[in-house]
Amino acid sequence: MTPTDPIIRLENVYTAYEGSDRPTLTDISFSVGRGEFVVVGGPNGAGKTTLLETINGMLPITHGTATVCGHDVRNEGVRVRCRVGYLLQNFAFDPLTPFTVEEVVLMGRFGRIGLIRKPGKEDHEAVEKALHLLGIEDLARRPIGHLSGGQQQKVLLAQNLARDPQVLLLDEPFSNLDMFARESINKLLSRLVASGIAVVIVSHAFDDLPDCRVRVVVMHDGRISLDRECLPADVGQVDGRISLDRECLPADVGQVIRHAGSAPCYA
Amino acid sequence: MQGVPPAMLEFIIQNNIVCHAVEAMLFASISCAILGVIITQVQISSIGFTMAHAAFAGAAVGMFLSLNVTICAILAGVCVAFLIGPLAEKARVSPDTALGLLFGISMAVAIFFIAYMQTLGQGFSAMGLLFGDVISLYREEIYLLALISVVAVVFVVVLYKEITGIIFNKRIAESVGIRVKPVYYAMLFVIALTVALCLPIIGGLLIYVWLVTPAAIALQFCYRLSAMFLVAPIVAAAISVSGALAGLEYSLPVAPLTAVLFSVVFIAAVFLSPKRRVTFRKS
Ligand SMILES: Nc1ncnc2c1ncn2[C@@H]1O[C@H](COP(=O)(O)OP(=O)(O)O)[C@@H](O)[C@H]1O
Ligand SMILES: [Mg+2]
Repeated sequence: MTPTDPIIRLENVYTAYEGSDRPTLTDISFSVGRGEFVVVGGPNGAGKTTLLETINGMLPITHGTATVCGHDVRNEGVRVRCRVGYLLQNFAFDPLTPFTVEEVVLMGRFGRIGLIRKPGKEDHEAVEKALHLLGIEDLARRPIGHLSGGQQQKVLLAQNLARDPQVLLLDEPFSNLDMFARESINKLLSRLVASGIAVVIVSHAFDDLPDCRVRVVVMHDGRISLDRECLPADVGQVDGRISLDRECLPADVGQVIRHAGSAPCYA
Repeated sequence: MQGVPPAMLEFIIQNNIVCHAVEAMLFASISCAILGVIITQVQISSIGFTMAHAAFAGAAVGMFLSLNVTICAILAGVCVAFLIGPLAEKARVSPDTALGLLFGISMAVAIFFIAYMQTLGQGFSAMGLLFGDVISLYREEIYLLALISVVAVVFVVVLYKEITGIIFNKRIAESVGIRVKPVYYAMLFVIALTVALCLPIIGGLLIYVWLVTPAAIALQFCYRLSAMFLVAPIVAAAISVSGALAGLEYSLPVAPLTAVLFSVVFIAAVFLSPKRRVTFRKS
């Protein structure tokens, strides 16, 4: 794999859930290069979560080929997941969950460490670094169930960063976060992108994106209905934050997004 | 008794029967408590419950057919563990319902054969399967129990990362690159093995107390999983050994007496638990 090869490459991929008579993803061809920032939008049930779980091999691919980080997703799903961070949608932990924040973040490295071997110094250092990146060092020893929804979400993001991922898949990461947290995570994401990590993020908040080149993908009914790079010139600057210029998006995207019931605020 | 290998605790406990009973209870309680932490934390109590009763049914069938009771119990327990998934899928029922079905069938088979054996005059050994029997143990059985408690400890130590991941959340465990399925099935296999081996001592109706109560007691005091894996077996061993000594001293049925002791300690633990206290003080 050369550095210019796409790090995610799906070719004519179909995915179906068990017991379903029709594919949830239909004929998806989609590539992402290193250091690319992709926002995936579309109405509920369009297949955004399914797309992320197809990329990291948690869902079986029924047709087509998928290569991520140089590994065939179908046969080497575990290898792929050791290199790909995936922040699951909507998670909340019970107050009785017997894990501290530190332990949860360390868990992010378990796949990399491999069977039988114990976490070493390097792993604990990666945990500290990840906690620091998200500014939650002070929560390290708290039980995860005692934190607020937004704090839990940051912990899970730290868990994914502790893995030193080459690809970061984020499923609606901003749903529980306050404005300040969004802003700081957006800054963090643009630094990660600059360092060469590919980020694919499912979000309805198209106005609230990091300060970098953004590729917009819109899904509809298991297909990609729009895939377009927005150059910085197309993107309007509002209050120091980036929002997509109305002209940047063809009219149908506005339609699609409005269908989703969320109201993206364009400049 | 020359030529017989010495009992392991013989130096402390003079009476051979008491000594064997205490050893059996000690090993059974350690392995059950360790796996009980997994069962309660992964929230597969209903799987453990159903496996315990299937093992019980297997043992009853084995006894009726004069086969090796332990092997029949292991086979039945393992079969159930591996049947749940496919049954739920093929019959289009929820795993919960699949477990209910298997539990019902297990109990029906077990009761049928135990009742039938009673009409044949083999009632005494059949009752042992129900309520446990610590008196008539063979030396080999105790070695086997010691072995399974070692297996349980080694299983948890070697696969600690993977087990904690599955306890935390199966989907997140999968997403970080843990091989969830093989570890999960290995887990069910070790549970089935332990249940089947402990069955003759504790009894098919009571074994569930040994699996769930120590973990529930530990949960009252422990905030961390690693602490639970230590506290549960220690508490279980202390209660089980006390139960065995008291039961034999006063000629009471050992397993039921110990089960009552477990419940008493659990209730006390709930009242003493620091988790329900608010320690905040306004200064
Ligand atoms: N576990 C499942 N089994 C069957 N169908 C599912 C399952 N999860 C999602 N689906 C279907 O797949 C489609 C896409 O879902 P999803 O990817 O979660 O949508 P979203 O874009 O909102 O993330 C939906 O139509 C949903 O009904
Ligand atoms: Mg979704």
